[in-house]
Amino acid sequence: MKTLELDVDWDGHRAGQHLDVRLTAEDGYQAQRSYSIASAPGERPAITIERLDDGEVSPYLVDELREGDVFEVRGPIGGYFVWDGDEPGPVLLVAGGSGVVPLAAMARHWKRVGSSAPMRLLYSARSWDEVIYRDELEHLGIGVTYTLTREQPERWQGYARRIDDELLSEVAFPASEGPRVYVCGSTHFVDAAADGLVRLGYDPASIRTERFGATG
Amino acid sequence: MSDPRVLDGNAVGGLLHDVFGAEVTAVPCTCGSCGARGEIARLVVYVDCPGVVVRCPECTQVLITIVRVHEHACVDLSGVGRLEL
Amino acid sequence: MGIISRGFHGRRQDGPPDRVPPGQYLTDDFPVLSAGPTPHTPLEEWTFDIRGGSEPVRWTWDELQALPSEEITKDIHCVTKWSKLDTVWQGVSVDTLLDAVEHDAGYAIAFCDGGYTTNLPIEDLTGGKAWVAYGYDGEPLEPEHGGPARLLVPHLYFWKSAKWVRGLALRDDDEPGFWEQNGYHLRGDPWLEQRYWGD
Repeated sequence: MKTLELDVDWDGHRAGQHLDVRLTAEDGYQAQRSYSIASAPGERPAITIERLDDGEVSPYLVDELREGDVFEVRGPIGGYFVWDGDEPGPVLLVAGGSGVVPLAAMARHWKRVGSSAPMRLLYSARSWDEVIYRDELEHLGIGVTYTLTREQPERWQGYARRIDDELLSEVAFPASEGPRVYVCGSTHFVDAAADGLVRLGYDPASIRTERFGATG
Repeated sequence: MSDPRVLDGNAVGGLLHDVFGAEVTAVPCTCGSCGARGEIARLVVYVDCPGVVVRCPECTQVLITIVRVHEHACVDLSGVGRLEL
Repeated sequence: MGIISRGFHGRRQDGPPDRVPPGQYLTDDFPVLSAGPTPHTPLEEWTFDIRGGSEPVRWTWDELQALPSEEITKDIHCVTKWSKLDTVWQGVSVDTLLDAVEHDAGYAIAFCDGGYTTNLPIEDLTGGKAWVAYGYDGEPLEPEHGGPARLLVPHLYFWKSAKWVRGLALRDDDEPGFWEQNGYHLRGDPWLEQRYWGD
């Protein structure tokens, strides 16, 4: 995983937005990828890239890119999966793997603006090694709960399974508190988490979703 | 062999911005076949094909098709009942 | 053209120019492209129909299996720029199917589970150039690659090789199918790089 800070000529972004990167080779070949902006509004846009060995773009961005290099960026993009921090009600963030990136931007924004809205992050990852922004997330002041679905460190006392109704009922705000929810991860993860929250009594309109696909 | 990605309208926010000249992921869209209404971000999007195909999450009918043809975009909105831009 | 990014190459491989059409690159895997959910029609309900001839003709799955079939090894070329060489299929020649129908149509539309359509001149479906394929690489064709059966027309861009095919509607005119209505070329010959309208 590598986080890049970008110099762009736009005015700023909102928490939850993403940008599109387009790379052009000398022979005109182009490849495009979308990355969620990991940094909070007010900070320079930063993206976190997972390097996949057989990827086309990620090895270039992680291994090859040097300071001063340029590539095309389009953004910031998004007007639905955004959190501006101007409403008081509780906010539940549910992250599946790399889906944590836009939610981390929301949590950082929460800290920067000194929001008093109760905020919790439920972060599902395959193992402890795959959890990103670990130290930072735990020092923001939001409630963070992990579930490690494939392997856990010795003496792990936390959740060790895929999100299910029971886990959600223990971690999520009660539906009666009218929380807003942001769920981000693979399509499968997002559908499962959103369905589970609806079964807990959450209003579907209060759940905002962003689905990621695997690309290199 | 990786599965074709099934994403949502967020994934084509940039493309739709190019097409409409504005941020539209929060725009309510009504399906012309079944009448289901929801934000463009909630629509089902297929990107691993010779274009982008956007379908209704309720009835799976095709709402929007976008193909980049050289310097232009061919945009078919015939499946959409209404967009509240 | 965009801003060139120093050191970016992409990971395409070029292939022998007599095998790989212009603008294409080689791939070793078999990318799955899909514009919608994968249909799952049970074989007991599956039929292949040819309409628009003097009488409609239909084959059930078992009847299709009973027709003479062949193993076909062909290169395939997707308009999204990947090409895959020496793909091996099993299927029934469309010549065999059209021989059962009296018709004088010049064109056909292939129609499929899920609603996909693509149009072809009869000339491109006959003369040993097209098949209804139900096997790939020695195995039954998987649903994500169009199983139980897909059209296979390898001399044209692979969007013409319609997945989940259920029949052909014979016509006098070249009515555009799904991608052809949305900017893609009516015929799609990869050697003439006929990707889009006007190419």
